[in-house]
Formats: sequence, structure tokens, C-alpha cells
Amino acid sequence: MRAIDRVLDAIDLETVLLAEDERSARRLASQLARELGFADADIVALEWRANMARVRIRGYVHRPGHHYAWLGQAAR
Amino acid sequence: MGRRKVLLAPLDPVHDVGLKLVQRALDAAGHSTLRLPPDLSAEEIVSRAIEYEPDTVLVGRTLGYNVPEVLARLVDLMEAAGMRSRVRLGVGGMAIRPELAAELGYDRGFGPGASSEEALAFVEGREPQPPAAPQALEKPDLTAGYGYLAKDREVAASLEAIAAAAVAWGKARTSPGVERARLRRRILEAEAGAERSDGRISEPVDELRAAYVRACDPPIRAFYEGTGPPGKTRPLSADEIAALAAAADPVSFERRQVRHVRARPRVFVQYGTGCPVMDSVHNRVAEAWGADGLVHFDPSWAARTEGLIEGHHSHEEDGTLLTLANLRSIGRARLSGTLWQVRAHRGLNTPETVVLAAAAGADLTKVNPVYGSLGAGTDPERLVVDGGECLSLAAAAGLPLDVVTNEELCGVPAGKAFAGMLIIAAMAVHQGGRPILQPLFCLSPDVMVTGRMEDNFVDYNMAKVIALRQLYDAPIWPGAPIGFLTHTEDRVQSATSTALHAAIAASLEVDAITIASADEAYSGGSIAAASRVDTLLATAEAFRFFGSARVAPTPRAEEWAGELVAQIKDTLRQVLERPSLVDALYAGVLGSPADGVYPGRAGRGTVRLR
Repeated sequence: MRAIDRVLDAIDLETVLLAEDERSARRLASQLARELGFADADIVALEWRANMARVRIRGYVHRPGHHYAWLGQAAR
Repeated sequence: MGRRKVLLAPLDPVHDVGLKLVQRALDAAGHSTLRLPPDLSAEEIVSRAIEYEPDTVLVGRTLGYNVPEVLARLVDLMEAAGMRSRVRLGVGGMAIRPELAAELGYDRGFGPGASSEEALAFVEGREPQPPAAPQALEKPDLTAGYGYLAKDREVAASLEAIAAAAVAWGKARTSPGVERARLRRRILEAEAGAERSDGRISEPVDELRAAYVRACDPPIRAFYEGTGPPGKTRPLSADEIAALAAAADPVSFERRQVRHVRARPRVFVQYGTGCPVMDSVHNRVAEAWGADGLVHFDPSWAARTEGLIEGHHSHEEDGTLLTLANLRSIGRARLSGTLWQVRAHRGLNTPETVVLAAAAGADLTKVNPVYGSLGAGTDPERLVVDGGECLSLAAAAGLPLDVVTNEELCGVPAGKAFAGMLIIAAMAVHQGGRPILQPLFCLSPDVMVTGRMEDNFVDYNMAKVIALRQLYDAPIWPGAPIGFLTHTEDRVQSATSTALHAAIAASLEVDAITIASADEAYSGGSIAAASRVDTLLATAEAFRFFGSARVAPTPRAEEWAGELVAQIKDTLRQVLERPSLVDALYAGVLGSPADGVYPGRAGRGTVRLR
């Protein structure tokens, strides 16, 4: 059993990125998601101030309606 | 078990609150205790232990620096003094992890969140008593104790006249939505082998279904003719259906409490990921974190299509399809004490939705033809007919319903929206129903234009409830969700805003609230379960923080409540001047293009006289 198979739907990652503007912060956030292996990721929230961006990245493990690795376990 | 002798020693410069609580529990249990002051060295503690000769030593540590060194030193000194083998040694506090305690040679480590009972059990050499078994929650009746009487003579007369005329107008007419609802009811009765509700012998299901299909739009007709489900939907697999069935197995778990000292408001959350399996698990998350109720969200396109499909189906986008199979499975997966609402407030399938809601065992529904026809795209004539049927069906099924005022989000001033809400509530009461008023706690376009929330979000939201209570004796359920249009994509801001609006609601002691997830303002994907927990935790914290204290508005709340009352009365007078409620809706009395709403077109021309 892999732990990631027990993720209900998504993994959120919150951090602060150093970036010179909001556009590059968004690019870095997307890059970070890829580097961490999130194949299906989105930036849920990003606020850029003073060359830093507080960001919340979401990696979807199971979108609604997809095949859930936990099917038959978590609903119990 | 004999009386134990326990030495409690804070191995910490200042913190000893945890040990004080443990000492109180030990004393109450009849044990002999000695608690040392903070800021003693390990050497001093061992020295006092040699004098006191305890059978148990409990040490506490909150500060996080040098923890392994300090704790290890105490163990070493106790061993050197020859007392370690005779004395049981436990350690607890914010800086303690049980694994670390075991590694350092302690008999037990109590981490953050450990209870006094756990420490007491350790001292007494027994297992801690498990928390009391979760009690089956009593499902509350949100409408209990309300008389549904207008408190103002003019408003009472206006509502009675408008409601009686609108109900009679609707009953003289029918629509494809009304006909399908009646067919669906007969199909369900025939499938169950039961007698028809009108006492006649049930008919063949195939014939009933054929008549139903003839009253559907092409995409739904295609489904019944075997061409396949509508776009972006698919039937659930056998595994998924089995998982849904398993979700309905009885479970018992400790449910987190959202409410603190007040019995109200009951807290509802919305669900509708598109997938019934995911919904049932999300709902379990919400229940575990204390939600009192669940609200079913269906896809918006389904509201503009005549007819509903059957069976277990998943939908790729937001909103879970309204089918009896989906509803029954989701409904059965909820805890017995959880309230469940299935919405029938807009669109072309509203009467059938109430039939399905009742058949699936829902506790509540949602109806408002005024909003549905001005803010949700359905023709006013059609929705007054269908809405009237909904109210009648809900009353017959014993389903209370909320009357939502989401047209405020389109720009309609609250007073106008409330006039429409009170009319529908009066229509419901006229037919024996039990309506619940649903004002929005929101940053509406009208409020933005008038600047009523430039200073705070408290006064105008409170004014709404004050005004409604001045006019009508009915339960109030702000929604949906509270804080609408105040949320941002930031989860902390979003959860905080929800919690603060919940605090206003608790101060007003309204009957229920609907809260969003922390993903309310995020439109890029589906809501994550963790975001549901965020707002439930934040709401619980707000309730804990305020307890029975109240949020105090400024005097403007009363002033604005007076303005709202005047606006409601004025709007009712204008409705009375029109030939019918439908005419008033087309004429913009309850919300006009200037306000930001337009009479809907879906279903136009489909109403006929009976």
C-alpha cells in the first residue's frame, strides 16, 4: 500500500517563493509542482509582495469521477 | 488499587499548567501528590524525589530547547540514585513526543493534547478509559416553535392576498415539469408495487416511463432511448456502486463539536463534487468535523433541461446529478443525526426534485420561484406554476424548505428580495408547509454600490435578520454560504471570513447557517476535502471564542433594519397593484433589469391551463 493511494483527493502545498514579480512567481509555482511530481496541479492562491509570493499549490491525486485508489476503503 | 504517591515536577523554567491539571485529577482520585515549582534542575528534582519516596514521578516540559539532554539527565540521575527501577517515570508537555520519551527511557510519554485521564491511568497502571461512545445525534426540527404569523397588520394582509391568489393561479395551470413530477411519483409507486396515492391501481411502469420520456428534452430522451447519458456524465462502475453501498454501513466515531455553548445555529455544508462516491466521503469528512447538515448541489445545466435521467451517474464538473439512485446512496451514507437538504429552487425540474428528495429520505428542500425566475434563468410563469407544485409536494411530504434570496447576488436590493421571499413563505404556509427564511450574509452588489459594508460586515447582515424578525415569525437560516463574495482564494482569509459571519449568526441565534469550504473563491478545480475542514475548524473556533457573548452592531443596524422593513412593505404594495405575482415578476417589481436581473427564458411558453 502506498501512502499516496490513501490521499482522498488532493495535496496542497503552501510555501513562500522568492520571485521578482507575480508572473514569475506563478511560473515558479507551476515549475515547483512539476518538480515535486504533481502531474495534475493548479495554483489555488498566490499573493505576491516585496519579491516574495505566498503560494498554495494543489496537486490533484484523485479528481472527482476518476478511479480512486482508495475505493472500497475510505467510505467505510 | 491502592493510593499512589506521585511527585510532579516541571522540568521547565516556567511552565507547569499541565502538571497542575494532572495533580487536580490525581487528588480527586485520592492519590497523594507533591508538585514541585518550576525552574528546578534535574539534580534538585531527584533530591526531592529521594526525600518524598514516590512510586511515580511525572515531569513536564513545554520549552523545546535541549529537551533530549534535559530529559536524559533526569533518567541518568534517577538510575544513579538507585530509584529508577522502583519508580515509574512519565513525561508530558508540548515539547514531548511519545517516541522520544520511550527512546530516552521513560515509561510513558504524553504529547500535546494528552488528557489528565491518560496520566491518571498511567499512575494507576491501567488503560485509559475510552471516551464515551458517540451518542446518536437527535435530528432537530429547524421549524419547531414558529407560528408563521406576520407581525405587522399591513404585511399580514398583503402576504395573505398575494399568496392566496398566486397559489390559486398556479393550481389552475400545469407544465411539463409538473406533469413529469406526477409521472415520476406514479413510476415510483408502480415500481414499489404500491397503490397509487390517489387510490387507483398502479399502471405498468413502461407506459408511465414512456409518457415521462415524451415530456423530456432531446438529451434526456436520448438517455432513455439507449443512446447514452448526457455529455460529461457516465454511469458508475460496479466497484463504485459497491463503495457507495459500503459507505452506508453503520459507523461510530467521535464527532468533533462545532457548536460550543449555544444550541444554534446548526451548521450546514454544501456538497456536489459531481461524483456520488467522492460526495459520500467528503460528507463523512464534514460530519466528522462537526457539520450538522448537508446540502446537495446539482449541475446548473440540469436546471435548464427538461427531464432527469435515472441510475447511478457521475458528472465531470461541479454539481452531482439528481437521480434517485445517486440521492439514495448519498443520503444513506450520512449519519442518522445529520440533516440533509436537496435543493429544488430553480430550473425546469423543481417539482420532480421534491418528489425525489422525499423518496430518497431528505429532511429539507429549497424552493424560491422568485429567485429561480429572476436570477437563475427560468421563465417566471413556468416557475410560479412549478414552484407552487413544489410547495404543495413539500408540504405533503412533510419537508420543511428554505426560501433562498440569491437574487441579491445579481444586484437586487435586499428589501425587494425579502418581499419575494416572504411571498413564497406565505404561499408555502398557505399550503400547509413549513418555510425557513434564508437571507444572505453577503457582500452583495447593492451593498457595494450603497457602501453599507465599507465600515464593517456586521451591521447590514444583522439588520436583515432584525428586519425579518420584526415582520414574520419564522425560522431563519442565513446562507448560502454565509459571507458570500467576501471570500478570497486564500484559505486563511476565506475560513476566517466564514467564521466571523458564523459568529454574527450565533449572536443572532438564528436556526442554521450554511458555510462554504475554504475553496469558495477558487474556481480552477474541485473543492478539496481539507478545505471543508478548514472552515468547520474556523467556525468552531469562532463559536468557542464568543461562547454566549454577542457581537454588538453599531446603531446603524437598527436604522437599516427600519429601511429594509419599509422597502419590503413598499415592494409588497407594488406587487398587490399588479394583476398577479407572475405579472409582478415580469414587470420587475421584485427585481428589475435596472437592479441587475432579467426574467428567465427557459421553459417559456410551456405553461397551459389545466
